[in-house]
Amino acid sequence: MKHIKVVAKSTICRDKHTGCGECQSSCQSACKTSCTVGNQSCEQQKINRNEKVDER
Amino acid sequence: MIHTFDCLGHSFLLDVESGSVFIVDSLTKALVENLNSPVDYSRGEFSRYTTEEIEEAKSELDELIKEGVLDSAEPEHKKAEYNGVIKAMCLNISHMCNLRCEYCFADGGSYSGKMMNMSYEVAKKAIDFLIEKSGHRRNLEVDFFGGEPLLNLDVVKQTVAYARSIEKEKNKNFRFTITTNAVLLDDETIDFFNEEMYNVVLSIDGRKEVHNCVRKTATGEGSYDLAMQNALKFKQKRVGQYYIRGTYTALNKDFSKDVLYLNDCGFDQISIEPVVLPDTHRLALKKSDIPELIAEYETLVKEYFERRKTDKWFNFFHFMIDVYHGPCETKRLVGCGAGNEYVAVAPNGDIFPCHQFDGDGNYKLGNVLEGTFDTTLPEHFAKNNLLCKEDCRKCWAKYYCSGGCAANAIHYCGDINKPYKMTCELMRKRIECAIAVNSLENLK
Repeated sequence: MKHIKVVAKSTICRDKHTGCGECQSSCQSACKTSCTVGNQSCEQQKINRNEKVDER
Repeated sequence: MIHTFDCLGHSFLLDVESGSVFIVDSLTKALVENLNSPVDYSRGEFSRYTTEEIEEAKSELDELIKEGVLDSAEPEHKKAEYNGVIKAMCLNISHMCNLRCEYCFADGGSYSGKMMNMSYEVAKKAIDFLIEKSGHRRNLEVDFFGGEPLLNLDVVKQTVAYARSIEKEKNKNFRFTITTNAVLLDDETIDFFNEEMYNVVLSIDGRKEVHNCVRKTATGEGSYDLAMQNALKFKQKRVGQYYIRGTYTALNKDFSKDVLYLNDCGFDQISIEPVVLPDTHRLALKKSDIPELIAEYETLVKEYFERRKTDKWFNFFHFMIDVYHGPCETKRLVGCGAGNEYVAVAPNGDIFPCHQFDGDGNYKLGNVLEGTFDTTLPEHFAKNNLLCKEDCRKCWAKYYCSGGCAANAIHYCGDINKPYKMTCELMRKRIECAIAVNSLENLK
């Protein structure tokens, strides 16, 4: 496409295997007052986003 | 719902319901902003483009809409149900603190109650309670919090040892985290953290003068020198996750300088968050501060994006949304899980929906020593998820913030379903910055 670059499509997973609850509670990560869940990762697709990755 | 925004010199589209993200040119952005209204393409901003260009961009948008990844409808959601499972616990291991931070929501660590440490007996019962309530969940989280947890380090160590001694037999995996002001952090404790703590959060606010202005000892002296010296030693030896976590207030609305200062000191995992205080407090951020704070996030994201290409790469907690591997919808609807799958335990064994309710008798759920636990409030917290928050359901950022902090909603708006709006605009700005950084880094 000339006018649009696709970054990601349909990223909110809603299939029947979701909701296992094994992921970290957001308040246990770094904050205790202004949590967001958007920056949490799915335990089933775990990657360490705290580390620099050179070869993207 | 489609959200459009500009950041780092690019225009973005976020398809709210699908989570799809696109980088677009200014014509396409304008077309999306006028998607459902009649437009005269010969006038205004569209007059700059040829009919062919407009038709081409429209056709690309139509393709994505047909595919269901743009302008997608809100799907039917799973019904929120309370299942009684608890997977995370904040152990307020000490209601004492060696600092008297001016913005402390815990009233100097005591949570407006008696200054005391948690006994091993209470901590052990809390671990047993968590295991008993955790159902089939394998990963269990325990955060040592306070007050200052290092004032009760022996009990922290005993509690970890106890949990480790039974986790295999119970088929659980404990993840311990700890939040400390770093003033008492020594080599032996750093080694213990490296062995047992999945994540360590050190509270430092940034520049010396900023930190010392609000984070003082009981005798009124600034705590920066000791905290920073120990934090630097910790960073050198740290194996595993950590965060330098600070708070910005009305006194340092130029907080990007604090973030960058911490990075200059050598830290690469940083979180600086807005203070939450009543309007009357001298450190409180006010509605009128929002434009300045938003501009500050814009300043920060530009420098952040540039530094991440260099040896000063760092991670800012609120800019780390991963548009590819984010949580599932269930998690996005439930949020932090306070009062439901996440609870806090006070030194006397009282159980609360989260650390911010500690000491509030109206929110006491039970007591681990007495073996009591009333599920009335947990059921209430579980059912009042994102879908019950009318204002939030209309917001484009809903699947990222999940309706915000339940404690803030109750304490500042008097209703768990009313978002604390002071934080909403800042949250939205941070999410835009995060999506922009992640998108541009991944498209490289």
